[in-house]
Amino acid sequence: MPHDKKSALILVGHGSTLNPDSSAPTFQHADEIVRRALFAEVHCSFWKEEPSLREVLRMVDADDIYVVPNFISEGYFTETVIPRELELVGPVTHRFGKIINYCEPVGNDPRMADLLLHRARQVAPNVSPKETSLLIVGHGTSLNEKSAEAAQSQVRAIRERGSYAEVSEAYMEEAPLIADWRKNTSQPNVVVVPFFIADGLHSYQDIPVLLGIESEPTAAASQQEVFRRNPYYLDGRALYYASAVGTEPLMADVILDTIDRFDRKHLSGSAA
Amino acid sequence: MIRDELARLIKDGYNALGELEFVESSNGYFLYHSADRDSLHEARVYHAIEDARQIAKYDSFGAYRPLKGAPNLPRGWLIQLSNIDGLQRALDFFYPGAIGTWLALRSGTARPVCLRQTLNRQTGMYRVTRGLSADQARNLVTEACRSDGACLRTILWGIEENESPDFLPSSKSDLTVDQTGQRRAALPFICLEACNLLVAAARTTMKKSSR
Repeated sequence: MPHDKKSALILVGHGSTLNPDSSAPTFQHADEIVRRALFAEVHCSFWKEEPSLREVLRMVDADDIYVVPNFISEGYFTETVIPRELELVGPVTHRFGKIINYCEPVGNDPRMADLLLHRARQVAPNVSPKETSLLIVGHGTSLNEKSAEAAQSQVRAIRERGSYAEVSEAYMEEAPLIADWRKNTSQPNVVVVPFFIADGLHSYQDIPVLLGIESEPTAAASQQEVFRRNPYYLDGRALYYASAVGTEPLMADVILDTIDRFDRKHLSGSAA
Repeated sequence: MIRDELARLIKDGYNALGELEFVESSNGYFLYHSADRDSLHEARVYHAIEDARQIAKYDSFGAYRPLKGAPNLPRGWLIQLSNIDGLQRALDFFYPGAIGTWLALRSGTARPVCLRQTLNRQTGMYRVTRGLSADQARNLVTEACRSDGACLRTILWGIEENESPDFLPSSKSDLTVDQTGQRRAALPFICLEACNLLVAAARTTMKKSSR
């Protein structure tokens, strides 16, 4: 890899003051990267948890720092909040003798398509992709068109591979809506993979209700149960519901790929 | 490096931070809740640095602890760490950035940021906090950051630019005061800038006052 073992990695997540599982995938991927001993230091930082983006740089000894947003798409957090809180001036910021390299969000990585397919195969290992509709579900919001664009780009990449009979996207807050999955999919098997960073209220509660596999939000203690009851038989179709793609252990490789792409784009021709 | 300075501070006699205490052992460091100091033989023993993160995540009732400075760490555990690097990382799981922030203030590379500056920077759903009055701010901070039940950090920022936090009890902004009230040789556990939880509380105040 182009970066040496003297650099620091800061993985930035959203975090939550209510949901203890929100930051878990960010820590999980950080732990895996620590195990690989590729960086002198690995830190996590969060918008809603500690250490905050205002604190985290004070925890770093290394002079060369990579900041990777563990976010599914470009948007308000990657374009406004993180640069503002870290006082970044662009992809490369020099401050106090340190170089801060600000990478793209992990959701932009081309390998995300592999992870979505991996998740789909894991949750429905015995169904034939040729008789299956793969539904990638994202948040989608009228406030930011990039949220849906990120999911669309993955759907196009998966569709081009031709392994599934049908590949489509659906969103919580914009069309095509998750709640319309019955009419928007045609195959006897439907595999649903949330294009989210973490399992939280959306994947535990909101999406299962929109899919019709839960009639009301599940109790906190049994939230993981929603992934254990596959398949769900609804209207003569078999529906398989996966946990968020961002909880996939292979995300550590996506983070490292993201840093490699940053180096190729911004450091090509330099000593790195 | 931060860990070298931490080792030096421990050699100088500092052995506490927030609700934690740590001592050098024959093969590394012991880290535990200060209230368990006399009953460590009963504590559950952990060895992994990441165990610190899990212990710090919930209080003794199993409730999530989003504010790490809250004086409600669970008791009954002892983490054995093999070196200063492990101790530093474990402390950062309990009190994220506390050591680095203190060292940055001491070296002059960081300084307190007044609440007004923090609020004026907010966008999106928190933009509304820009309208928080000085009186509202003082009442909010006095309640939401108090050491007896809310947060053990020593506050060094005022409401407006160049103001000191003189609306708080003097002990709350005194670096030499152990906020747990135990008068231990504690490393300063400082707050240089309002956290997101306080900004969120400011938003709640604004929403209530606009009704």
